[in-house]
Amino acid sequence: MAASLLQNPLKTPFSELSIKKQKPCFLKPRHLTITATHPQLQGRKLRAAVIGGGPAGSSAAEALASGGIETFLFERSPSTAKPCGGAIPLCMIDEFSIPLHLIDRHVTKMKIISPSNLTVDFGSKSLRAHEFIPMLRREVLDSFLRTRAQSAGAQLIPSLVTHLEIPSSPFSPYIVHHTINNSRKTLAVDLIIGADGANSKVAKFIKAGNYTCAIAFQERIRLPDEKMEYYQNLAEMYVGDDVSPDFYAWVFPKCDHVAVGTGTVCAKQDIKLYQRGIKERVKNKINGGKVIKVEAHPIPEHPRPIRVRGRVALVGDAAGYVTKCSGEGIYFAAKSGRMCGEAMVRASDGGESMISEDDLKREYLLEWDEKYLSTFRFLDLLQRVFYGSNAAREALVEVCGSEYVQRMTFDSYLYKKLAKGDRLEDLKMVLGTIGSLMRCKIVGRHMEALKL
Amino acid sequence: MSISMASFSPPPTSFSVKPHFTHKPTPFFRLKRPFLLLSSLKSLPDNGAGVSASLAAAEDPSPKQKDLVLEKAMEGSAGPNGVATSTEVEALSKFEDPRWIGGTWDLKQFQKNGSTDWDAVIDAEVRRRKWLQDNPETTSNDDPVVFDTSIIPWWAWMKRFHLPEAELLNGRAAMIGFFMAYLVDSLTGLGLVDQMGNFFCKTLLFVAVVGVLLIRKNEDLDNIKQLIEETTFYDKQWQATWLDDTSSNNN
Repeated sequence: MAASLLQNPLKTPFSELSIKKQKPCFLKPRHLTITATHPQLQGRKLRAAVIGGGPAGSSAAEALASGGIETFLFERSPSTAKPCGGAIPLCMIDEFSIPLHLIDRHVTKMKIISPSNLTVDFGSKSLRAHEFIPMLRREVLDSFLRTRAQSAGAQLIPSLVTHLEIPSSPFSPYIVHHTINNSRKTLAVDLIIGADGANSKVAKFIKAGNYTCAIAFQERIRLPDEKMEYYQNLAEMYVGDDVSPDFYAWVFPKCDHVAVGTGTVCAKQDIKLYQRGIKERVKNKINGGKVIKVEAHPIPEHPRPIRVRGRVALVGDAAGYVTKCSGEGIYFAAKSGRMCGEAMVRASDGGESMISEDDLKREYLLEWDEKYLSTFRFLDLLQRVFYGSNAAREALVEVCGSEYVQRMTFDSYLYKKLAKGDRLEDLKMVLGTIGSLMRCKIVGRHMEALKL
Repeated sequence: MSISMASFSPPPTSFSVKPHFTHKPTPFFRLKRPFLLLSSLKSLPDNGAGVSASLAAAEDPSPKQKDLVLEKAMEGSAGPNGVATSTEVEALSKFEDPRWIGGTWDLKQFQKNGSTDWDAVIDAEVRRRKWLQDNPETTSNDDPVVFDTSIIPWWAWMKRFHLPEAELLNGRAAMIGFFMAYLVDSLTGLGLVDQMGNFFCKTLLFVAVVGVLLIRKNEDLDNIKQLIEETTFYDKQWQATWLDDTSSNNN
C-alpha cells in the first residue's frame, strides 16, 4: 500500500497521505545481487603475472593474453626436464591443440599386476582403434605451451621470483621481486597466478596453507633393444606392499628408455626400499638396462586450504590439483590455468576493470569445483578402498579383469567425463566388486592367521 | 650417476668376492632354504637383496609347508662394456608347488570323493599369497599367473565363510530379540504382535538388527566412527577454501 502511495503521490488527496514518517519499503525481488562496479582502469589494461611456466602457467598466460590482459610469464629454468610420468589424457590433445608430432609413444596396452603377480591386460580388448594414451616428454610439451603463450602475447621472463609484496589496499599493485642475470628487478602487477608447482613460493607468500605430499621417485633406464620392444606401447602398473604401501609402482615407456618408479605418502623415508622392490619385480624385464637418471618430486595429495587470496590465485600443482589413485596432474594443471585465466578475463571485461577476490572465487573456484570435485572425490574413494592392503589390491586387479570396468575406466580417463554406462552392467560391476573385495578379504584374513 | 640397475651389489670389482665368501660356488646346489636366504641377505648388506620384507622370509621357514624352493642363479647377461649386470649368485626364490601348474591351481589334483575340494584350493591359495607377500616374486612374461579368486564358485565361499558367521549373528539377534521382547512386554504390557505395530518398537528392532550386523567386536564402534570421519575428510579439504569466507579475512 505504501508502495502505491509512493508511486502515485499526485493522485492521492492530501487527507489520505499520512504525516508520520514511513519506513521506506523496497520492492524485494526474489533474487537480488548487488555488485559494485569496479573502478575502470585509467587508460591502461590490467597487468597480470603468471609465476611458473609449466602447463598450468603457460595455459593461464595464453588465456590471459588472448583475453587482452597484459601478461608476464615467469619461468626460472625454461629448459629443465621435469620428473614426471608424462602421460596425458586423449582429450587434452583436442582441448589444447597439441600437435601429434610431439607425442613420443602411443600407449595402447596397460598391464596391472597384483601382489601375487596376477596380471590383467588392460586395453587389448577395451580400447577402440583410435584411442591411446599419449606419452610425451615434459620439456617438449612445456616448451610448446610456453611458445604458444608467447605468440598469444605473453612476455616470457626467464627469471627466478624471490619475493612478493602484498599490497594493503585492494587497488594497489602487487610487486614481484625477481632475479635475472644476477640482477634484481621488480615488476608491478594487478593480478597474480601462482603456477609454480608443489613447492610453490606464491602459496607461501599468500599463506595458503600446507598440504600433504606424496613423493614420487623414478629411475630412467635405457634398455637393450629386445627388452625395449616389449615396452613398445605398453605401460605397467604394479601394486603391492613391497612396491608401495599406499600407491602404485610403474614402468612407463618414454622416447628411448623406460621410467621405473614408485611413490608413497606415508612411508617417504623408505622410498628407496620400495624402488628396490619394484626393480626386483621387473628384474627379468629390465635386465641389462642402464640407469641414466634418478629423479624424485613431491606430488600434492589434496588442495591447499586457501586457493585464492586477494587478487592471487593458485593453479595446477601449486593449488594441489592432483587426483588420488592415479596421480594425474598435467591435464588438471593446464585446465585450471586456462580456467583461471579465462575467469580473470571475464571478470575484468577483457582487462578493462579491476577485479576482487570474490570475482576470482566466483568465476574460477566455483566453476572448477563444480566441474571436477566429483571426479576427485571418486578417485579418493577408489584409493582408500583399493590401495589400503594387499587383499584390496588383489581385489582391484580381479575387478579390472572385467571388460566393462576397463571400458568405463578408459572413458573416464581419456575424456574426463563421468562415463555414462549401462545400468545393468553397472549393477553387475558393483556386485562383482563387492564379491571380489569380500573374497580377497577372507583370503587376507586367513593369511594373517598363518603368520607364525 | 650411472648406477647399474640390475646389480644390487657394490661395483663389479668386489662382487666376485662377497658372494663366494658365504655361498657355495655352485649356484644350483640346493641348500636348505632358510639358511641360504639368511646368508644371501648377509652377503649383500647395504645394497639390499630386495625388500626388507624378505628378511621376514628367513624367519618363516616352516618346513611343514609343502612348497619347495629352488635356488636359481639369476640370469645375467654379461655386458663387457661396463654395463654391470648381475652374474652374481643371488637367491631368487620362486613359488613352487606340485599342484600349481601353468600359473594356476590344477583342480584335478584337488579331488576329494569325486568332486573338487574347494576348501583345499582356498587354503593353498592363502599359502601361496602369504609366501609371495614375504618373498615378492619377479614377474615373468613366459609364466603368467592366471588364477584369481573368482574361479572358486560362490557357494564354496558361502558354505565355508558366510554360513558360520550368519549362524552366529542370527543367534545373537535371536537372543537379543527374545530378551527385548520379554522386557518390553513386562514394561508396557504389549505382546509381540502389538509391539510390531508400534513405530517406536519397530525403530528399536531396526537399531538392534543394524547393531548386530555392524558391531561384532568392541573395536568396531571406534572403527565405524573413524570410517565416517575418513569418508568426509577429503571433501573437507576441498571445502576449506570456501570456509574462509566466514572469517574476517576478506581483503
